[in-house]
Amino acid sequence: MDIGGRRLQVVVTRSGDGFAVSVDGRLHHVDAARIDAHMLSLVVDSVRSNEVSIAADPIGGLLTVHVGATPVAVMLNGRRRWGRREEGAGSGSGPQRLVAPMPGKVVRVLVKAGDLVAASQPVVVVEAMKMENELRASREGTVAEIHASEGMSVDAGALLVVIQ
Amino acid sequence: MSAQRVQLCRLKKILIANRGEIAVRIIRACRELGVSPVAVYSACDRTALHVRFADEAYAIGPSAPRESYLRIDAIIDAAKKSGADGVHPGYGFLAENEDFAAAVRDAGLTFIGPTPEAIETMGSKTAARTAAKRAGVPVVPGTEDPFAPDAPDAEIAKAAAAIGYPLLVKAVAGGGGKGMRTVTDAADLAGAVRAARSEAGAAFGDAAVYLERRLTRPRHIEVQLLGDTHGTVLPFVERECSIQRRHQKVVEETPSLAVSPALRAQMTSAAAAVAKSVGYTNAGTIEFLLDEDGRFYFLEMNTRLQVEHPITEMVTGVDLVRWQIRIARGERLDIDPERLLRPAGHAIECRIYAEDPDNNFLPSPGRILQLRVPAGPGIRDDSGATPGLEVPIFYDPMISKLVAWAEDRPLAIARMQRALGEYLVTGIKTTVPFFSWLLGQPDFLAGRFHTTYLDDVLKTRNGRPFVEATPAEEDMAAIAAALEAVMSPSALAFDAAAGRPEQTASRGWRTQARSEGLRSS
Repeated sequence: MDIGGRRLQVVVTRSGDGFAVSVDGRLHHVDAARIDAHMLSLVVDSVRSNEVSIAADPIGGLLTVHVGATPVAVMLNGRRRWGRREEGAGSGSGPQRLVAPMPGKVVRVLVKAGDLVAASQPVVVVEAMKMENELRASREGTVAEIHASEGMSVDAGALLVVIQ
Repeated sequence: MSAQRVQLCRLKKILIANRGEIAVRIIRACRELGVSPVAVYSACDRTALHVRFADEAYAIGPSAPRESYLRIDAIIDAAKKSGADGVHPGYGFLAENEDFAAAVRDAGLTFIGPTPEAIETMGSKTAARTAAKRAGVPVVPGTEDPFAPDAPDAEIAKAAAAIGYPLLVKAVAGGGGKGMRTVTDAADLAGAVRAARSEAGAAFGDAAVYLERRLTRPRHIEVQLLGDTHGTVLPFVERECSIQRRHQKVVEETPSLAVSPALRAQMTSAAAAVAKSVGYTNAGTIEFLLDEDGRFYFLEMNTRLQVEHPITEMVTGVDLVRWQIRIARGERLDIDPERLLRPAGHAIECRIYAEDPDNNFLPSPGRILQLRVPAGPGIRDDSGATPGLEVPIFYDPMISKLVAWAEDRPLAIARMQRALGEYLVTGIKTTVPFFSWLLGQPDFLAGRFHTTYLDDVLKTRNGRPFVEATPAEEDMAAIAAALEAVMSPSALAFDAAAGRPEQTASRGWRTQARSEGLRSS
């Protein structure tokens, strides 16, 4: 699994009342108790007590593991389990695909197909939770496709505009 | 039976024209007074906590605020059907709408708040500035009147040039940072006016805006007031709300490190003078900007209960919502005024938002999987959130107000840090990690901040996560993710059904591991 830019090899085997867990060769004895559907209590190497909770991130397709109060993003097997993250207004070559970063309502579409847009020019305004959020082009280009219209409700990750 | 007794018999059932944590807060005050609480709800709030806590609940329309919580007719109708004798507006929505207060009064019900006339005067930011000037309180330089909705750009630009840049475009009906824009360059003025109008129109149903000079590094200091219907107005010890992100308060505390006892005496009497000059009743707050040179200016009055009212309650021991109801019943304010100006200890509030602080504070609506709220000494959590509840996209992203009280400021900060460590919300992102970071900043600890401190410091961070996991925590996350698969309830159930209880966990693990491709062998 990938965590914080590191790829970790994790092997779990049953050991006595608990588990022997090897993280990149570092072997730990883990006494694990399930608290509820999302939460485990782990006592590691007989002393370190950690409360962990595990939730699927609906947008990124990652797991978010809270170790105590610290959230840690975990990607399993070098791939995302649930769908894939749309490349936002990314850098590099190829068309820019502007996607809704959160569910909301399109309040304004500021460009038309064929328009030339400059880098960081506002393209679409999406409103959620009473705040208007401007989505901007990451670099210059020509508006190729528009999938958003004013008043339209969108889900997180919905494709709004493609800029070539 | 005396007139006083007759008055006191009223308000047996109160309709709460609001949602979320504040509706729950008001329901709690109702219960403690033996008053029956009545809820209203929009389509997406059917399962909200305020509906579940109330004695009666009335559906008032679809989820969009304009079709439910902003519908005066639907709310009055619900109040009449329920037989309520009073209406509490909370904050936001219709709380500062004089037409609503008047409609409540015209329906023969008691509005738990100021009179429609006081709301109209003080709720209009421009009229309030005039009232403050008449009461001898200095105001921040700005335009006397709001601009007409069709005011040409040239007229606004001329007024802006007279005030000077940087300036603020502010909605006359604004609040909570909505409908407000900072303009540092004349070229951005027209766009900022448009954006502020559009946001204000959507949030308050009133798109009028005005201009005001922006002081360079002011602190936001405000004074809570209670006024009864017998002419008494009592000010409370100040609150400091300088920690703001894009003009939205995120941390409030009381008392302020920047206010000496002498300055407190000046600011609280100025606040009371403004309120008295308009015959103000019930709860309200006068906001000031405190300049670096120690001079203060009237900013605006909020003619309602404030979001941050709990910190005042923590250091004075006065239940402000209970007093709102008692004042509306006609009772006299019989609190010792001196006590309200002598805070016991220090209180801090963090507004917990459904936002992703590591992704430029983007809204993070969605279903709350897990929620564990901090508790223990000196901690108060005012919230409308429960596990399983959907945080809707239609309303403000605040899900809870976490308040810490202690004997002094350093202890209150330590207590807040402790509580943030206990706060667990999964399923949505929240600003909890951001507060853990903020409360460790040397400038915050030293009280060196002003209203744009947070925006300035956030700009320098370049999106670095607020809480970074240590390698040991990352290992723990790896162990947890692997064991989650082994110990998942579905894996255990599968093995139990196969009748292999002694190998339950290991078989579950193999099954799960294959499907995940986690195990190399």
